[in-house]
Amino acid sequence: MVTIKHLIIAVLAVGIAVWAAFYVFQSEERKVKKPFHLLEGWVSKEGGENAFVMAHKTQSIGSLFAQEFELRTEIDSVSGSYAPEEVSSLAARGRLMFSSLSLKFSDFDVKFPEEGTAKVILVAALKGKSTAGEYMDETHELECILKKIDKKWLFSYVEMVQVLKK
Amino acid sequence: MPLRSAIRQFFFPSLTPKFLIRVLLVALSAYLFFGQVLTPLRIKGRSMEPTYHDGTINFLWKWRFALSKPKRYDVVALRFAGNRVMLLKRVIAMEAETVEFRDGKLYVDGKEMEEPYVRFPCNWNLPPRLVEKDCVYVVGDNREMPIEDHHFGQASMRRILGVPLW
Repeated sequence: MVTIKHLIIAVLAVGIAVWAAFYVFQSEERKVKKPFHLLEGWVSKEGGENAFVMAHKTQSIGSLFAQEFELRTEIDSVSGSYAPEEVSSLAARGRLMFSSLSLKFSDFDVKFPEEGTAKVILVAALKGKSTAGEYMDETHELECILKKIDKKWLFSYVEMVQVLKK
Repeated sequence: MPLRSAIRQFFFPSLTPKFLIRVLLVALSAYLFFGQVLTPLRIKGRSMEPTYHDGTINFLWKWRFALSKPKRYDVVALRFAGNRVMLLKRVIAMEAETVEFRDGKLYVDGKEMEEPYVRFPCNWNLPPRLVEKDCVYVVGDNREMPIEDHHFGQASMRRILGVPLW
C-alpha cells in the first residue's frame, strides 16, 4: 500500500535527481565559460606591460583554440582559418597596436547541440587606447562554437553576428 | 501623530513585516515595469540627429508592436548585442521592397520618397537592393555622416525591441 511516507520519499528522490541533473548541466556550462574568462585576462593589457608578460599572454591565447579554428568577421582580411600558433601571432599583432586594452564577455547563452559541442552566443566589449592615442570602444554579438578536446573546451568557430546588412 | 514623530516615521520607518512586504512588492513591480514595459535608455551617438541627440535619456516602449507590425518611418530600437546594447534607427523600407540612394535621395521600388526628418545635406549613393523576407531596412536620420561611417541596412524584425517613448 502506498503511504504518504512513500510519496514524500518519491517526491524527494525526484527533486534530488532534478537538482543533480541541473547541477551537472550547470557545471558543464561553467566549464564552457572558462576559456572566455581566460581570454578576457590574456587579451586585456595595462600600460607598461613588459615583453615577458606579453609573450606569455599571446602564447596562452593560442592554447584556447582548436587545431582548426575559423573566424568570420566583417573585415575580410581577418576572416579565415587559423592554427593556434597563427591565432597567437594575430593576437600579438593586435595587442601591439594598443597601449591599453580591455575585453569583457557578458550575456552568455550556452547550448549543447550535440555531445562535445557547445554553441555560445554572447556579447563582447572591447575597449582600449591605441598607441596613436585613439580610443576604441566596440561592442558586438558573437556566435561561438567550442569543441571538447581532451576534456578541454576549445574555440573552433567564432563569428561576429552581422545585425545590419547593407 | 505629532509632526516630528511623523517625519521620523517617514524617513526611518519601522521594519515591520507589512512594511517589508510593501518594499518587496514595490521593488518587484519596478523591476517588472522597467524591465518588460518601459526600459530606460541613454542615447549614444549622432546617427539619429537631429531627431534624437547624443547623451539624451528616453524610454523604450516594448509593447508597441505587441498587436501590430512596424511601419515605414517608425523609429525603432534594434537589439544589437545582448539585451543592453541597441541601435536606434528609422524604418524606411519593408520586406520585398527595393531600396536605393541616388545623390542623397531615397528611392523605394524606384519611387522617390519624402524624408522631412532629414535636415542635413546628404550625397549618399547606394545601388538598389531587395529587402529580404521578415526584414526591414533601417537608416539613421543623420545623413551628413559619410555613408561608410553610418551603420545601416536590413535587419530581422525579430531584433526589433520597441520604440522610443518620445
